[in-house]
Amino acid sequence: MKKNSAVFKSDLNFKFACNKTLPSIELVYETYGEINADKSNAVLVCHAFSGSHEAAGLTSDGNKTGWWDEIIGPGKAIDTERYFVVSVNNLGSCYGSSGPKSISMETSEPYSSKFPDVCVLDWVNSQKLLMDELEIDCWEMVAGGSLGGMQALQWAVSYPEKIKRAAVIAATAQTSPQNIALNEVARQIIRKDSSFNNGEYISYNTTPKEGLKTARMLGHITYLSETNIQRRFGRKKQAPGTKVAEEVNFEIENYLQYKGDQFSEFFDANSYILMTKAMDEYNLADQFEGNMSKALERIKSKLLIISFTSDWLFPSWHSRRLQKDCILSNVESSFIELEGSYGHDSFLFASPEYSKILKTFLGS
Amino acid sequence: MDSAYLNNWIKNESKVIDLGCGDGSLLRDLMNTKSVNGFGVENDLEKIEKCIENNVPVIQHDLDDGLKDFKHLGFDAAIMASSIQCLRNPKSALIDLLDVATTCVVSIPNFGYWKIRLLMMAGRMPVSSRLPSKWYETKNIHLCTIKDFEELCAELNLKILEKIYLNDHGKPLKKLKRGNLLAAEGVYLIGA
Repeated sequence: MKKNSAVFKSDLNFKFACNKTLPSIELVYETYGEINADKSNAVLVCHAFSGSHEAAGLTSDGNKTGWWDEIIGPGKAIDTERYFVVSVNNLGSCYGSSGPKSISMETSEPYSSKFPDVCVLDWVNSQKLLMDELEIDCWEMVAGGSLGGMQALQWAVSYPEKIKRAAVIAATAQTSPQNIALNEVARQIIRKDSSFNNGEYISYNTTPKEGLKTARMLGHITYLSETNIQRRFGRKKQAPGTKVAEEVNFEIENYLQYKGDQFSEFFDANSYILMTKAMDEYNLADQFEGNMSKALERIKSKLLIISFTSDWLFPSWHSRRLQKDCILSNVESSFIELEGSYGHDSFLFASPEYSKILKTFLGS
Repeated sequence: MDSAYLNNWIKNESKVIDLGCGDGSLLRDLMNTKSVNGFGVENDLEKIEKCIENNVPVIQHDLDDGLKDFKHLGFDAAIMASSIQCLRNPKSALIDLLDVATTCVVSIPNFGYWKIRLLMMAGRMPVSSRLPSKWYETKNIHLCTIKDFEELCAELNLKILEKIYLNDHGKPLKKLKRGNLLAAEGVYLIGA
């Protein structure tokens, strides 16, 4: 599989939906496969909350595969022998695209907590700039899970002529109060970390690692299903000598602490707050005076809406509601609820049914 | 059900839902010939894949969970081809149908058909080319005759606007008389 990493710099003023402007932005991205002569085989994949542009193949640190490696690659659902896949790190994230850790040209300091509030529409608008730069006229498909699925939906609404298919997976057109509640607890945990310093921790030379870790532990539970952790950990006790901390008793505790520790090593606390805020704020209808039909009526592409049975973060009713609204607005949309025991994270793992549906949709 | 019979009943560019759409071929035909805005409902994943392959929008749904998800979504016509007898509650499905669409096309296999009666006379549940499954594996759990079905429609105040009786080969009978004995299948256009 041909793989490329690059940085796209746009020197045009970038205006965020919150009305703030940055004089320039940078997007790091990866591409997989090769673009054809008339540039008509491009697929955009959008990452979820804590994902990155590293979607397929080995990650840059060399010891993991990208977050959607089971889906993207030669012969896989998104076949890199046929398609040219683009994967962008979102604005406000912390993997290289402009975000809170970037240096402001105005102040020569990191933006930190001053980075503009970013939203799903901003991501799509910035991805559109990259699309123009790559001289791609129309995406064969935009696909993503969770927050990535919201971007796919937003693409279909914001740029109806620029997309043929949208795969909206384990996502929603409107986050729920439960989503917001869980995110707020996570944010409070981060803010209450004494190293957070109102988000200015870089200038204080501190890192709110403990806050990030605990926030991630909570988040992580919401990505898994009860069945999944029952099967995987049960009530097993962590063997002495393998504990990450003295107070750990059960394997599930050890696992969450371990995952939390890992996460807090590389993720940025301000990004955590920005990305969760973007998720909370997502309500497609808001951009159209609260009228969902008005939003969906703009869509010209085909839509594939997928949910998973064990997902309790964005349970199937979110997807069913979206499908219902799509029928009302005469959008060419299909809805499928797949069996998946991994909870919300099911969208990451390629079951044969899931791969086949995606592949068929892309080939249709 | 052959889409040819539907030609007079389904209007050009109307919005149509096929409840139990299988691989979507009926809707595909209607989309090609009548430019309908079609949606299929199906629960079998392999058939759903076929729908997507055929560019037929499809919703995964178990019809036994009811039709409330499809009510008042602006459908002009609902089609229920040979699936009502597979439902756990065909009566409530019939009641709900007119909240799904203004007109409904329903077809039923007629268990009053003489060949079926003969098979039953032999003391066995009917198995034929049109009803190939044995009693323990058939999806048909609420069997009825043309008489039974039309009686239920009357009881529910559902108007049968038009009907066609089909023979064993799926061809319309010239006369409706003695249809309960001579028809293998009844096809109905139902309205309020």
